[in-house]
Amino acid sequence: MNDLTKCFLKGSDFATRSILGETIIVPIKEGVGDLNSIYVLNELGTQIWELIDGKSTINRMIEEICEAYDVGPEEAEKDAIEFLNSLEGSGLIQSISRTA
Amino acid sequence: MEALTYSDFSLGLHQKMLDQRLPLEGTIEVTHRCPMKCVHCYNNLPIGDQEAQRKELTVEEHCRILDEIVKAGCLWLLYTGGEIFLRKDFLEIYTYGKRKGLLITLFTNGILITPQIADYLKKWPPFSIEVTLYGYTQKTYESITGLPGSYERCLRGIRLLMERGLPLKLKTVVLTLNHHEIWKIKHFVEEELGLEFKFDAMVNPRLSGARTPLEVRLKPEEIVELDRLDPRRMAEWRRFSEKFTGPVHSLRHGERLYQCGGGDRAFSLSPDGGLNVCALSPADAFNLRKSSFQKGWEEFLLKVREKKVSRRTKCISCEIKAMCGMCPANGMLESKDPEGPVDFLCQVAHLRAKALGIQVEPHGKCEYCEE
Repeated sequence: MNDLTKCFLKGSDFATRSILGETIIVPIKEGVGDLNSIYVLNELGTQIWELIDGKSTINRMIEEICEAYDVGPEEAEKDAIEFLNSLEGSGLIQSISRTA
Repeated sequence: MEALTYSDFSLGLHQKMLDQRLPLEGTIEVTHRCPMKCVHCYNNLPIGDQEAQRKELTVEEHCRILDEIVKAGCLWLLYTGGEIFLRKDFLEIYTYGKRKGLLITLFTNGILITPQIADYLKKWPPFSIEVTLYGYTQKTYESITGLPGSYERCLRGIRLLMERGLPLKLKTVVLTLNHHEIWKIKHFVEEELGLEFKFDAMVNPRLSGARTPLEVRLKPEEIVELDRLDPRRMAEWRRFSEKFTGPVHSLRHGERLYQCGGGDRAFSLSPDGGLNVCALSPADAFNLRKSSFQKGWEEFLLKVREKKVSRRTKCISCEIKAMCGMCPANGMLESKDPEGPVDFLCQVAHLRAKALGIQVEPHGKCEYCEE
């Protein structure tokens, strides 16, 4: 069961760029992500990325996805979790638990 | 989220650009001063040139310009010189650019690289570093650089970068002075060091107008012979010619003088803040000390980019012009004429076409077609 009250923070060792409508994440220091790759976010990814601010929960992200893409909460949750896991796995974000 | 290799990403982005004009690629010369006195160099000044040093942009000016070019859409940035590490404040400028998300390539002669600099670059890795290795032997190397001890210092710099696993590539300029060692250099770099290697024999007159570099430039037939002796190089030229040969433009009303990426997707900045289409074209630069990059890109460079061809020359309908390298910058440096053919380049292109088995269609009075 996913904890949908979790929030996330972006790491500091990469930069976010927006070029020709694409959001790209550029690792800038050793040990962050894969320095041989560049991360490109699609529209949904960009929207979630902008909510990674230490305050917005996964629940909030799900609400926004449902509204923007006219999808149900289950599908939105699946997309959000998958995306956040890939970001976390690449070392680009870290989760923080909200206190009750 | 998609993790792409840089080459796939670059291809996709350039295709997306289509007819858009965006300053994706920049070159910044942080200084023209250099500890070496390479005989072929088009821009080097002595390290003690105080007037040149006084005119160089400060760290604050560099950072302000970096803010502006990032805002305008620049992604790939090349730092070159002179010698970049001659400036003690270079890493401060570099790190600011890294933090802004620029993909930074460094051109350096390697002789000023210390363990501390190499450690710093490991912590803040560049996109790529290219070091020029002028000779296989000390005698040959230093006959070009004019600096005793530079050969060992260059090898040391290369070793320091390699030990830290940095993205290093080596290259050389082939001149009369190192022509006899080119294959030994290539073997050393590729087989002993295991690094990528490339070479080029194209040498320009100096920006000042002095033609001394041409004294060590190879003859056209020697340059093409280098291609013929390297199967990989021939294969690259063949691929290039299949993609890019054909008439570049005809003398229609309004045809553009500049056919390269300069001023369209690329720009260059001189050490004193002069913005221009490329580093070989410094005349009439736009002063970024007094104005913004946005204004320079949207107004000044657009005007340069929109300059038109004014007369018919044999280059206009030459089908191998893309292989020739003729451009307004080369034209100005070689013969003070941005439109006229550069004889040296013309001869190399025709010999190269012949080596590749390309039939060059008649394109006006051209002595190299008639040979």
